[in-house]
Amino acid sequence: MTDDTYKQGTYRPSEQEPPKPKPIADGVVSRFEHVLEVDPTLMRRFEQQYQPVWETKRIVDSRWEHLRWMHDHFADEVLVAGEESETGAE
Amino acid sequence: MVTALEDSVVEELGATLEEDGAVLTNVTSRAMRARVPAPFPVHRWFEYMPQVVVLPRTAEQVSEIVKFANQHGIPVVPRAGGTGLADGAVPLRGGIMVDIKRMDEIKEIDLVNRTVTVGPGINMLKLNEQLRKHGVMYPDDPASYPCSLVGGRIGTGGWSLLGARYGHTRDLVVSMQVVLPTGEIVEIGDGGGRKLRKSSTGLNLKQLFTGHQGTLGITTEATLELVPRAECEFAAFFAFDDYMKAHLTTGTLARSGLATLAGVVLFDERKLAYLRRDDEAYIPQPDWVVSAVAATLYGTRAEVEPASKRVMELGRSAGGKYVGDEISWGDWASRHDRYATPLHGRLPSGEVVPMCWHCEDAALSYSELPKVREEWHAIVQRYIDEYGIFDDWGMFAYTNSAYKPWGDYLVEIDVGIWEEKLNDETWAGWVNLKREIAEVSLRHGGSITACHGATRVGDAELVPTEMGSAWEVVKRVKRALDPNNVMNPGKQMLDEAYVSSDGDGSG
Repeated sequence: MTDDTYKQGTYRPSEQEPPKPKPIADGVVSRFEHVLEVDPTLMRRFEQQYQPVWETKRIVDSRWEHLRWMHDHFADEVLVAGEESETGAE
Repeated sequence: MVTALEDSVVEELGATLEEDGAVLTNVTSRAMRARVPAPFPVHRWFEYMPQVVVLPRTAEQVSEIVKFANQHGIPVVPRAGGTGLADGAVPLRGGIMVDIKRMDEIKEIDLVNRTVTVGPGINMLKLNEQLRKHGVMYPDDPASYPCSLVGGRIGTGGWSLLGARYGHTRDLVVSMQVVLPTGEIVEIGDGGGRKLRKSSTGLNLKQLFTGHQGTLGITTEATLELVPRAECEFAAFFAFDDYMKAHLTTGTLARSGLATLAGVVLFDERKLAYLRRDDEAYIPQPDWVVSAVAATLYGTRAEVEPASKRVMELGRSAGGKYVGDEISWGDWASRHDRYATPLHGRLPSGEVVPMCWHCEDAALSYSELPKVREEWHAIVQRYIDEYGIFDDWGMFAYTNSAYKPWGDYLVEIDVGIWEEKLNDETWAGWVNLKREIAEVSLRHGGSITACHGATRVGDAELVPTEMGSAWEVVKRVKRALDPNNVMNPGKQMLDEAYVSSDGDGSG
């Protein structure tokens, strides 16, 4: 299981402004596909910090790397059912 | 209130350890060892600090420290990774904290007899990095896997994510060396023999020294089980539109007889609501998904591959819907390392605030899970409404028996607590909440704790009740091994062991 979408690549200042968030669900917004954030209006006591695009991609990529490494730590091979989701979730 | 130790005590400890940095008296070193990740009365932090921290390297040094403490009536509190969730390593009366992190050697790997002998300060992840090249592993796998240590696991009698397949901590310790509260160094096994798993000689003392929460001694060496490294693992998650269908499926999977089954987990409606609020994998799930079940397999490919087909059949047998490969793959991997999750919760208004984490860890029979779930959530909701600083993060139940995953379950309700807002009133509210939850477990024939230990306020008062007619035996054991009550004193109501029948404390 891998996802190279979020390899952060080179830091170019002109590319760091994150896109505007879109509402996804009650209290949830998204700026990048599959990257979900708490609606900033719910973070008034502890405000959401500004995050350059590069940093978001670095965090997501690190998470995938960590999960791959965790699997590899416990077993030589990971089997999956090889089936699509049946819940209708996108 | 804890007072300073005399300078002569610190000098004596320094003479025993003879190493720079092995005796620490500065506030930072003591304060950072005062608490564990569980909810903590931060407004009274200084009441829980040890007076001095020592970092020994050998059993002989631990023995000298404990003998000295016993002679002078100074409390001794052992501490390993400090990742426990029930305050086992939190000093209640100050004293000497014995931090065993420097005792982290791998002393012997015996591939013929399948054991590894280590110091108690080694972490399982680091140990398994060394074992991997030999094709073996030590399969003790808590949610704190990357940061907890072998000695702490033995002290708490830990529970493993893979316990249904490989056993839990108490099943994986073949033998150990222990420094008793009076300072003697003893070898503890099933009978004699450092590498023997089964004996009928004398009394089996090994279980007595597993899960005592540091009240009966300090483990200074452990000989552990090695198992073949898994060729293959498999995990599958199923979604349900009804909790009882998920409960039924959990029991069906647990009783499947699949030898490679390492665990089955049942998530309830509040857990799904919590995940749907903050977890990328669950936010997109449709509203009808109100419960989930996960099952995982470990073993050779020849075993796991056909067993995975059976898991897929059984997971769907009561209406479960497979959630897909990506969630199954990612969610399972993340369960080895829950301590990496930054914690926050929600106020009743929905606003985000930083919260620490309490997870109840009762042991309960399968039949009791639905009813306990209702009672626990009702209790937590009542305290949320009253205090406004708690958050219900939902419940899960996880197979709890070693090698045979049916019957009883580790049952957790996760509760967020806004620690910054704790004061004497809100802390008392928290303790009452905690006690009410534990009382429900006992009423349903369960145990307060499956793995964390009943060492915190709110739990500890109920230990005599849970132990019942065996409580007198427990007190006699404690008093026989620790005549001066120096080893982690104040925990689990064991002070009662030193109260005479007329209650004057001179017993």
